[in-house]
Parts: sequence; C-alpha cells; structure tokens
Amino acid sequence: MNNQPRQPSLFPDTPSGISLCEFNARIADCVNRQPQLTDEWVIAETSDVRVKANGHCYLKLVEKGPDGNTVTAQADAVIWNREFHQLKVKFEQGTGAAFNTGMQVMVKVTASFHTQYGLKLTITDIDPRFTLGDMARKRLEIIKRLQSDGVIDNNKQLPWPALTQRIAVISAPGAAGYGDFINQLQNNAYGLKFYTCLFRATMQGNQTVPTVLRALNAIKRQADLFQCVVIIRGGGASVDLNSFDDYNLALEVAQFPLPVIVGIGHERDETVLDHVGAVRVKTPTAAAEHLIKLGADQLALLEQLKTQMETNLQHLLTRARERLTYLSQAVVTQPLTRCQQERIKLNQLANDIHRLSSNHIMQRQHRISEHRQAIVNLVNQRLTLSHDRLTHLTKVVELLSPRNVLNRGYSLVRHHGQYITQASQVKPGDLVTVHLKEGHFKSTVTE
Amino acid sequence: MNESQPQTPDMTYDEATKKLEEYVSLMQDDQCSIDKLSEYTKQSQQLLEFCRRKLTETDAELQKILADIQKQN
Repeated sequence: MNNQPRQPSLFPDTPSGISLCEFNARIADCVNRQPQLTDEWVIAETSDVRVKANGHCYLKLVEKGPDGNTVTAQADAVIWNREFHQLKVKFEQGTGAAFNTGMQVMVKVTASFHTQYGLKLTITDIDPRFTLGDMARKRLEIIKRLQSDGVIDNNKQLPWPALTQRIAVISAPGAAGYGDFINQLQNNAYGLKFYTCLFRATMQGNQTVPTVLRALNAIKRQADLFQCVVIIRGGGASVDLNSFDDYNLALEVAQFPLPVIVGIGHERDETVLDHVGAVRVKTPTAAAEHLIKLGADQLALLEQLKTQMETNLQHLLTRARERLTYLSQAVVTQPLTRCQQERIKLNQLANDIHRLSSNHIMQRQHRISEHRQAIVNLVNQRLTLSHDRLTHLTKVVELLSPRNVLNRGYSLVRHHGQYITQASQVKPGDLVTVHLKEGHFKSTVTE
Repeated sequence: MNESQPQTPDMTYDEATKKLEEYVSLMQDDQCSIDKLSEYTKQSQQLLEFCRRKLTETDAELQKILADIQKQN
C-alpha cells in the first residue's frame, strides 16, 4: 500500500518505473491473507523433501501430467519445525510410511508471498488418509501386475526341504529384530542346529530396494548352499514400509529359487512383498518360530518312525514266539492226539465190521428161509397144478374115449378090422361089425 | 557322541527318511521273515541316528563356510 510517487527521471527521455520491492509488495498484497489462498486443502506430489538441522522441512509440491513425468505445476513449500514435528508423527501413524519425496499428499496450505523470497506455500496440516489411499491403490496395481505376470504364487509353490537348516538372512545387522531372530534359533528348546548367514541390507529409506536386491543376488549365486531366505527387520517400527511396495523387489522374490520368509515386522496392512513371499510372518521372532517348528516336526516324525518300528518289531517277535510255543507243544501233543484219534477210528471200524457182518449173515439167513419157503410153495403149486391138469386130462381122455362115445349111444362100425368113418369105404354086401355100448352084432351093407 | 559311523554318510536327509519309511513298511508286513528282521532293525536304527544327528549336531565345517560368506557381504 505504499504508493510511492514515481521518481522523476534525471534524463527526460529514459522510461521510469517502480522498484521491484514496490512491485513485489503489490503481489504480496494480492496474495497474503487472501481467504482463497489461506488454509486450502491441496492435492500434490512431494519432491525434494529436505529436513534441515533446525527441524524445518523444505520441499517442492509438484503436479505431473498424464505421462507421469512432465511437471505441469509446482511450488516451493515449507513446513515449519513446530508443525513438522506433529505432522511427521501424524503422517507416519496414518500411513505407516515416513514423509518423503515422491508421495501423493493432501496438505493444508497457505500461500504467502515475500518480497525477498518470493512465493512459498506454508503447509500446516496433512491428511494421511489421502496418501494411504494412494499407497493402497499403487500397491493393488503392483499386485495386479504381478498376478497378470503369472508369478505372484511362484515362491509359495516351491517345495520345502524336509530339513531346513541353512538359512540366508537379509537384514540390517545390529537391528534388534536380527539379534532376536539369531538368538531364538541358536537357543531353541529342541536342540536343533541352524546355520545362518547374514546378507546386509538397509531395511528402511530409499536405499532399501537396491540393497535388498543386491543381497538377493548374492544369495542366488550361492543358492545351492542355502535352503531358504529370511527377510527381517526390527520389530515394532511400522515406519517406512512403503519401500517394500516395490514391483522389482517383489518380482525378484516371487521368482526366487529358494522359498522366502518375509517378516518385516508390522501388524498392519500387508506390503506387496508380504504377498509374494512363500511364508509371511509378523515379526522376526515368528520367523524363527516357524523354522524351529519345521525342525521340531521332523524330530517328531523320526520319533514316530522309531515307535512304529519298535511296535512292528515287537509284534513280529511276539507272533514268532507264539508260533514257536504252539509248535513245541504240538510236537508233543499232536502224536498223542493222533493215536487217540486213530484208536477211536479202529474201534469204530471193528464195531462196524462186526455189526455189518452180523447184519449180512442175518440177511442171508433170512433170504435162505424165504427161498426155502418159496421153493416149497412153488413145488406145492406145481404139484397142485399138475394134479389138476392130470385130473383134467383124465376127464378129457375119458370123455373122448370111444367107450364114452359108445356110452352116449354112438356105434362104431368095423370092416375087416378097420373102423369106418366114410360111407365110401364100404360097398353093398360088405360084412361089417357094429360095436355098441354093450355087445356087438354083424351087419350087411345093403346100400 | 555316537562311536559307530553310519553306513550312509553320503545320503541326504530326504533319502534317509525315505529309506526309513520303506523299512518300517517292510516290518509292518506279517510275512516279514525273522532273518531279515535283524538286518532291517539294524539299518533303521543307523538311519534314525543319522537323521537325528543332522538335526541336532553342529557341522563345524558348514558353519565356517557360512561365516566366510557373511564376512564377504
């Protein structure tokens, strides 16, 4: 509002103007404390985030075009140390990630223009839900991409060796999580022995992805020596898990030739890495427990085989012993039993013979009687028949006898001693004898 | 510490457990002859020892190899 009068020029033909300070002041007037430019929620991407020693956070807010590279809008921004102190915590708790470059954020900004420093956006608040949503969206995209690549389940489908003792560990040495993990493995209750080898990596910040990839490659070169990989980091801290939402890292783990246990120590939503590891655990301790359990299961299996073997052995020996006992007894008792059996059989046979022969004899005797009787009967019958027949014949003979004929009044005629049956046998004048029932007379044939 | 060396020093753990299961199943058969029994039992016990030792005894050589690799990284 300093409307300074124009300075008259010393030389009449040179143009005049106001000072930059004056002009900037006018801009400042337009910008500062404008209601539209104060406490407005703005969506942007962070860039060049730097936190100074004094605690102030300086950054650029940018907007990129559809190609994701061309910057279409940008502004310098600052979060003063007092606000940053609170916002940092709020952001990390809300997203599980540290406030950093390259993040989509929703921030409350106030524009201010300073004659000396120019335009600056002061950030006074942040809504982590926006970033969280963006992170979740990106994570989902990466997961979808891995699914369409057909690799997302590859590591899960690798067969586990029965004995998992040789373990490649990717972690930051000195991290509490690593120490706990090693401790638990070396002091397990079953006396199982494990062989670990640490491959160092940074487990947070923007060096995470390259160092973990480098460690994985080193392990791959010695893949024959190891049986599985464990990726762990300090338990409890849920900061900066965003580094594990990386496509290339996930791809490498998904296609890794050894099964990978992912235990990057958090309770919340899973990172992309959690989706591709063969096993996901929540803490380094849980990773150790998983490995110990595999070993304990093997010990139990050996125990079971031992028990089964002993049982089978006992069973077989008992049966053999029983059989032997039976056989030894049978050697003694069998002959006796057999003799007894045979004796009974002989007695039986003797009885049978006796009985049968008696029966037989009786039958025969009976038959003889019958025959005798039959003979007698038959003879009698025959005699009777013959007698009757004789009687009958006698009667017939008698009936047929000439005597009987004569008795009936017939006469017999004889001529020269021959009996005459036909008239032609005589001629008139023959002398014939006629025999009658009683007596006879002579007769001459007349005609 | 077991005095007798197992007759299977070059066997892998997986091969050993497989052989063990074979022996157990052979001995489960009622027809298993008593003569073979003694041999199977002896072999099985050796295999069990071998497996258990793999799980619970330290292979110093292996430890050294891994320690060297760790140093390199």
